[in-house]
Amino acid sequence: MNKHPSPLWTHLTSENRMTGTWRSALPNYQNQPSPCLGACPVHGHIAEWIKQVKDGDVYGAWVTLTENNPFPAIAGRICHHPCESACNRQHMDETVGICSLERFVGDTALAEGWQFSAPPTQETSVAVIGGGPAGLSAAYQLRRRGFRVALYETKDELGGLMRFGIPAYRLARSVLDGEINRITAMGVDLHLGVPAVDGAALETLQNSHDAVFLATGASLPKRLPALDYANPWVVDSADFLAAPVSEQTDRTGARVIVIGGGSAAMDVARSARRLGRSVTVLALEPEGRLPAQRIEVEEAVEEGVNFVHGAMMKSAEALGSGVVLNCVRVDFEPGDAPGAFSVEPLDGSDFELMADTIIPAIGQDADLARWSGVLDAKGPVVATGRDWQTSKPGLYAGGDVASMNRFVTQAVGMGKEAATAIAAALTPGDARPPANGAAQVAYDRINIAYHDTHGRNRQRNTEIEARLATFDEVQQPLGPNEARSEAARCFSCGTCIYCDNCYFYCPDMAITKLENGYVVNSDYCKGCGLCVAECPTGSIHMREDTSS
Amino acid sequence: MNAPLFTEDLKLLNGNHAVAWGVCLAEPDVAPVYPITPQTPILEKLIDFESRGACQIELLTPESEHSAMAAAIAASATGARVFTATSSQGLLLMHELLHYASGARTPIVLFNVNRTPAAPWGFWPDQIDSLSQRDTGWVQLYSESPQESLDSVIQAFRIAEAVNLPVMVNHDAFYVSHSVEPVSIPDAGMVRDFLPRIPREIQLGDGTGRSLGAPIDQAAWNLTRREMDAAMKRVENVSEQAGSEWERLTGRPSAPLEFYRCEDAEIVYVTMGSMSGTVREVVDLLRESGVPAGLLKVRLFRPLPVQALRHALAGTSCAIVLDRNYSPGTGGVLHQELKAGLFGMENPPRVHGMLAGVGGVNVPVGSIAKLAADCRNAEQTAEPVWVE
Repeated sequence: MNKHPSPLWTHLTSENRMTGTWRSALPNYQNQPSPCLGACPVHGHIAEWIKQVKDGDVYGAWVTLTENNPFPAIAGRICHHPCESACNRQHMDETVGICSLERFVGDTALAEGWQFSAPPTQETSVAVIGGGPAGLSAAYQLRRRGFRVALYETKDELGGLMRFGIPAYRLARSVLDGEINRITAMGVDLHLGVPAVDGAALETLQNSHDAVFLATGASLPKRLPALDYANPWVVDSADFLAAPVSEQTDRTGARVIVIGGGSAAMDVARSARRLGRSVTVLALEPEGRLPAQRIEVEEAVEEGVNFVHGAMMKSAEALGSGVVLNCVRVDFEPGDAPGAFSVEPLDGSDFELMADTIIPAIGQDADLARWSGVLDAKGPVVATGRDWQTSKPGLYAGGDVASMNRFVTQAVGMGKEAATAIAAALTPGDARPPANGAAQVAYDRINIAYHDTHGRNRQRNTEIEARLATFDEVQQPLGPNEARSEAARCFSCGTCIYCDNCYFYCPDMAITKLENGYVVNSDYCKGCGLCVAECPTGSIHMREDTSS
Repeated sequence: MNAPLFTEDLKLLNGNHAVAWGVCLAEPDVAPVYPITPQTPILEKLIDFESRGACQIELLTPESEHSAMAAAIAASATGARVFTATSSQGLLLMHELLHYASGARTPIVLFNVNRTPAAPWGFWPDQIDSLSQRDTGWVQLYSESPQESLDSVIQAFRIAEAVNLPVMVNHDAFYVSHSVEPVSIPDAGMVRDFLPRIPREIQLGDGTGRSLGAPIDQAAWNLTRREMDAAMKRVENVSEQAGSEWERLTGRPSAPLEFYRCEDAEIVYVTMGSMSGTVREVVDLLRESGVPAGLLKVRLFRPLPVQALRHALAGTSCAIVLDRNYSPGTGGVLHQELKAGLFGMENPPRVHGMLAGVGGVNVPVGSIAKLAADCRNAEQTAEPVWVE
């Protein structure tokens, strides 16, 4: 035998093999945007806060959520949730119930009395005109950054459309008040019941503040030319929804016809059903194509609302104690933008409907006339450029007054973006953080072997009879266990959950765990991609490594 | 503990059950085995023994032969005595790890039942499955009978543990594996003395914190093969000694090469496995008719005992190799090996390569006897001849 020790048994480890030299690609940890984040009007870090819910850290989830949206309890009830439409989980079984989880977090925060903290108020001051979702969102974001905020609202209460347009059975007033009071508690200089701000008042406010954010909403009802609004049997939908129940009762007869197919029309129709009225919705759109959310239409049907689709009213006239509506079927062609459509009456399809009250709910316009010659308009809204700045420097605008994307959370998102832009403009040297330009994580990046098939935990609705008896909330919340279970369904697309799969599967032990993540040791990573394949969340991807 | 099973000296056993008896007596610590026809009775009998408390083997049943061999290597590296068994496709599935086992110097004993590999599918006795593994660094033994299989598997542990190389023992499907013969069961205490536990110099888990088979440079890898070469060179002596001692203990000769009536033989048949029994009858018949024939049975095929072969065949004019295997493109594997082994010999015998019994076809006495007449004065050819 030879005199050398056998090289079979050594004190070597694989550390002496620099397998990194074999590599042509290197894994890259990148918190890529999830599809829900991309779709979210407030750009909320949904995957992140859902993971916190899953981990039982509801407070942490609330903190994460409220970075972008101070209204989780409100949004969790009424958001049109485009996040769920984008959710990757739909390709496996059903989308994650993001909205119901948001409500769970928001309700928990209200129940626990969690409050926002605000830094000391600076001298720099911003005026916010309008106390609806866009204005309140901007005020919140500005106060978080320490700016002095003066808020001007024509009504005596804050909330805008959330208070005066959305019925309590969809959004309990205690929830609305709770989330608004939490913002004003940050120290907002409130001016309620002030006159509408005209061009001259704008000028004054600009002179007394470092910036102004205009968020007066869309307060003018669109009018049907064929209807004489002076008739006692015509009630404007915005007035109806803003009125107390007693007044709603006084102003409606037994048979109500609601004209329109959007959310406001559903709110009117379902409110009228709660007054005991017989309700018919007359909509231009064919069945299944109404602009209202599908769930709103379904719940309206459950509550006994009748629908006449694909038709329009040509005229209405009093007949005896009631009204007769002369209607015709139409061919409906949707347009490219919201509100842009065309209709073609179909010859010989005339019919009549009988009613006691007609409530048109065909949309609202922004009142731009008061700023005529002061602010540029772009079509029906105030013209804004990048960062929501209007034609007047230092004057920003957002929400329904500046956009046709007329959803509450869109307004919240615009308020946030405008506030961020204002803060950047008023803070020398403070650039806006660059947007995460990475591609969204597609479904095929998720390793579904790590996710069990599990149907969605659904919120329950109150029984139909009970619903019609009151204006109490219809939708019941998820319980804590259901919320945890629903949160566990989230794929956490593009958001590392620190599962250690990459660490364990790496055949070269090239991955080191850090306190808050992982790092790849390029001396050993040979670029096999196992870590990427075994990542349950698509948080790692391979990129070509051209380094020598 | 196992005394009640060994009260009878002679038992009627088929080849596979004889192997299981031998394994049981050798007392391995671990046996990862995956079933396959025609090996399965070995596994079944071992399970039977184990379940009755006749032996204390950690029997593992992994999901494939590849995993069985992986488990065998790891177990052996910890210093455990390890047995496994397989056949044909199973052995071929183990191929990658056969190299690993020898490279890691794990003294595993594997029993292989020689069976035709697919395609086409078959279950017939043919030795190409194990012969095609001849370059994997395993010692190879071939057995003719149930008794020899029992004896060989015990000797295999002795050889393996003396040189730290794995040993594969083979017998032919059905002709041996399923044929019942009287088998003498050795005394358990005697076997224990024959197979003393040799402490390994280094083993996994011995607290020295060493790596087995970590990546090394070219020169160091080269050195491992030189070490294996030195170990292989010791195998002939070690098996010779093991065979002598076994003969002293049991009265059964167990040398690497077995000779039958080879003294002054002009014609010597060379073969392995079950064919040997038929050839023994042929030799007797030829001798009766005045033809000086003999049989050289190769038990130790790898490493082939070259010097002993050359010595045995000196003075013989005609060697007829009977190969129950076929290596496409060359012919019989034993034929090749013998030609190579005799290379450079002064006055070597003519070597006639006969493909006899490939695929398990019957090779009757008459066919083999006729070869003596055909080859006695014929020129040897490089090409193999298919025996009808």
